[in-house]
Amino acid sequence: MIVVSSLSKIFEKTIAVDGVSFKTKEGEIIGFLGPNGAGKTTTMRLLTGYLKSTSGKVSINNLDPIKNRLEVLKNIGYLPENNPLYLEMKVSEYLEFVSQVKGEKNIEQITKEVGLDEVINKKIEELSRGYKQRVGLAAALCGNPKILILDEPTSGLDPLEQEKIRDLIKKLAKRKTIIFSTHILSEVEDIASRLIIINKGKIVYDGVKPKGKGAVEKLFKKVVKN
Amino acid sequence: MFKKLYQKELSYYLNNPLGYIILILFSVFANFWYVKDVFVVGTASMRAFFDSVPWFLMIFIPALTMRIFAEEKKVNTIEVLLTLPVKEWQIVFAKFFALLTLIIIGLLLTVSLPLSLSILSKIYLPEVLVGYLGLILFSAMMVAFSMIFSLLTKNQIIAFLVSLLGIFSFLVSGSDFFAGVVPRLINDVIIYYTPLYHLSFFNRSILELRSIVYFVSFTLTFLLVNKFFLENRD
Repeated sequence: MIVVSSLSKIFEKTIAVDGVSFKTKEGEIIGFLGPNGAGKTTTMRLLTGYLKSTSGKVSINNLDPIKNRLEVLKNIGYLPENNPLYLEMKVSEYLEFVSQVKGEKNIEQITKEVGLDEVINKKIEELSRGYKQRVGLAAALCGNPKILILDEPTSGLDPLEQEKIRDLIKKLAKRKTIIFSTHILSEVEDIASRLIIINKGKIVYDGVKPKGKGAVEKLFKKVVKN
Repeated sequence: MFKKLYQKELSYYLNNPLGYIILILFSVFANFWYVKDVFVVGTASMRAFFDSVPWFLMIFIPALTMRIFAEEKKVNTIEVLLTLPVKEWQIVFAKFFALLTLIIIGLLLTVSLPLSLSILSKIYLPEVLVGYLGLILFSAMMVAFSMIFSLLTKNQIIAFLVSLLGIFSFLVSGSDFFAGVVPRLINDVIIYYTPLYHLSFFNRSILELRSIVYFVSFTLTFLLVNKFFLENRD
């Protein structure tokens, strides 16, 4: 379970995250929405302990991501923004490295689940954007983490690839808590069970996903405008 | 965990032309310098070789270390690395030992020199080994020092130039030139802190404990500085 209370992050004079609080329940798929520069990526980096907060608290399964960094990271699968990867490595080498570090013994099952069998011996730099995204997802799944934090997992993909990644997230959601950020409102409609909207570092909506076609877009425009 | 990180770092250089180019260039320059002394100056001594190598390393160490953190920061794989369940010191030490391994490979490429020297005259093996040990300790200190600048910037060229300048300052402060231009009192104090002074014992085949302590403690201090900056990223 993730508990975030009054979390803030200030970079020099810019307030990136401003008093954010929320709690997650097991098995939730949370769509994290917000305009560019709203503080989505910074919040996710604070959850993983990559960044230290200026004030406030994060608790992942009752552990502090800074003080108990290793224990927390064993429970988190993280796909950072723009999916940075070691391009010079082969898919197999990269996943072997991540799985060894994260103590994953069943890497074959993950590659199969994510659909990387065909390209396993290719260099990452040779892959299409969709396959690269799958490599990032496979790495996030190593170690069977209970929480997945995915920063724009379908960004830059064509509609077909987006759908495949979305299907994969839906499949994973049965056994994990997932927080994913996105700009694609239909994506939230499709897969999220709960919606958090952040604007200028503050949470402006936290609740159930409104039902009906175009309802998320309507809500987003309304709360971000205010 | 450390082993996996070390292997990953080392394999980057060993699967990439960059590592080989730098090692071959180092070997060519170091060997040429020695051969030039033999044929032009008419001397064949390992001491002259050991004296000149730190000046080559001044260029080759920054060339190897410049990418070690700067590239990870530029393409943001540093975020991947730092969100894996590994400790910051393991990352720093893995990168350090991978780089030091490459330097040792580079130094091994010069063992043909004492071998050829042994044909021309009699050489005493422990003397040569102590000389190489000095170069390895010096390299360790300078690798740890150079890594700091790669950690502080995303720009590899800046990392290269600043660490080149830093190593140059270390070397010059222990040189005869420096001794000639600064007051003797100042030089007498500074000289004990310069790597060339401590390296001179190894070059004369003296295994001096305080010089070993000097190199090891400076290396550890620089590695701790790396760890500090990696932990306090923002």
